[in-house]
Amino acid sequence: MTETVQAPPQKERRQGTAPIVPVTSVASRTLMLLVTIMTFLSCVTVGSVVLIQKSAIGWSADVGREVTIEIRPMAGEVIESNVRTAISLAESVPGIGRARVLSQDEVEGLLAPWLGRGLDLTNLKLPQLVVVEIAEPQALDVGLLSRTIATVPGASLETHAAWRQQLNVMTGTVVVSGLLVLALILLATILAVVFATRGTMASSREIVDVLHFIGASNQFIASEFQKRFLTIGVTGGAIGGVAALMFFLAASLVVSTVLPSESSAQLGALFGRFALGLDGIAAILIIVPVVGGLTALTSRLTVRRFLEQISS
Amino acid sequence: MIQFEGVGLSYGDGPPVLKNLSFRIAPGSFHFLTGPSGSGKTSLLRLLLLSRRPSAGRIVMFGDDTTGLSGDRLLAIRRRIGIVFQEFRLLDHLTTFENVALPLRVQGLPDSAYRENVTELLEWVGLGQRMEALPDVLSGGEKQRAAIARAVISKSELLLADEPTGNVDPELSERLMHLFAELNKMGTTVVVATHETSLLKKFAVPRMVLKDGEVRFHD
Ligand SMILES: Nc1ncnc2c1ncn2[C@@H]1O[C@H](COP(=O)(O)OP(=O)(O)OP(=O)(O)O)[C@@H](O)[C@H]1O
Ligand SMILES: [Mg+2]
Repeated sequence: MTETVQAPPQKERRQGTAPIVPVTSVASRTLMLLVTIMTFLSCVTVGSVVLIQKSAIGWSADVGREVTIEIRPMAGEVIESNVRTAISLAESVPGIGRARVLSQDEVEGLLAPWLGRGLDLTNLKLPQLVVVEIAEPQALDVGLLSRTIATVPGASLETHAAWRQQLNVMTGTVVVSGLLVLALILLATILAVVFATRGTMASSREIVDVLHFIGASNQFIASEFQKRFLTIGVTGGAIGGVAALMFFLAASLVVSTVLPSESSAQLGALFGRFALGLDGIAAILIIVPVVGGLTALTSRLTVRRFLEQISS
Repeated sequence: MIQFEGVGLSYGDGPPVLKNLSFRIAPGSFHFLTGPSGSGKTSLLRLLLLSRRPSAGRIVMFGDDTTGLSGDRLLAIRRRIGIVFQEFRLLDHLTTFENVALPLRVQGLPDSAYRENVTELLEWVGLGQRMEALPDVLSGGEKQRAAIARAVISKSELLLADEPTGNVDPELSERLMHLFAELNKMGTTVVVATHETSLLKKFAVPRMVLKDGEVRFHD
């Protein structure tokens, strides 16, 4: 009977300054994955909040620069003459710039994302819309404008005030919930890091004891462990951040290329085409060091406490 | 100078392992610490390393009362002591070289400051070819020599060794004893726990004998 004797796998040759705390251990790999996921979630949360807030600000600003007069067709009235009256009345009010009626094409364009293009609207009796630009918002008395317009038969003023208020409430809710979610994620990160650190320290107890016996200070031991945890935090944070950026990039590509143009226009209206913009990217780039630093700081405190406990 | 005054030690609620020890160990002396298995040799070395506090009495190390000592002052005393553990306690993920260099590294010295010394010492203990090996591929004797090298690398004033020749052949164990004797000649105080009678016979060194929790000195 022959027996093959296999040489034990040769461990890699290393330099004399290998980390005192082992680079790979199950606990540290788990911790790295955890930090990556937490960073990704934080970044996606912050990015989404930025997206929604930006879109809301965009809508609000667009809407705030103008008001609309709606003139409904009424029996016995010539709608074109009512429109002209409304335009000249509106322009006579202080603070108002130009007023103009929306053409049939423009109305169709507005409705296209919702009703689809190529719909023949000529037979529908649609109200006419007059867009009134506000030149000087401070000089404008909306009440006066409203009363003036009301004298025209079938005309009413739409200031979008209620809609804007709703929009503000909705955006505020989204932002607050987003921040709450972010806070919870960070809290969960801290707790998980504390547990992972304690686990790593407990499994490294022999290293800690030997280091003590050969004359290492608590400070030295702590800094060796912190180096590991800082690396873990920064690496995990960076991977999570890059993943989040790629997520938003992919989302914006999907929205602009894959989806048919009508639905993309709808989504675009809702999310501003998923363009994070510089401030969104900046927010994500801030989250990465925050999570990385939080990991390092938390494990630093945990390591200190562990060392104090065992040497007392 | 090392001085024990009425020192007792018990683990938890257990019976006393060491009772009312009072003795002095002069600087620059060489002692064997002997006694049957379980007589408390390792325990006495733990007290000398200050890794355990006595349950009674006080221990003076290098002229300082160590009762209640902690932090930097404890660290300063530890750094004057080198220790070879009975179970070696090398760090598994570090090479022989890195393990031996560790006492210097934890004092903040850079690699360049000790590379030559460590290499020289490793060659001297016959580990010149095993410098980059990890402990789990070393033989028992090789681990022991690495542990001894780690204990003497920082040229401590007091060298404690717990059964340092337990795993090596007689020829090597004699060479190791000569290494200890050489270090002792250069001024290091040495305490070697052993129950190897061949060594005790071969080297005419004063003995501390532990029995029933008490220590007796034989010159
Ligand atoms: N950490 C400990 N906790 C509780 N009891 C201990 C501990 N260490 C040692 N003992 C007990 O103290 C006594 C002395 O042990 P010690 O290890 O000091 O003996 P020793 O002389 O070194 O023995 P050996 O020659 O086998 O190494 C033994 O009865 C042992 O069971
Ligand atoms: Mg022992």
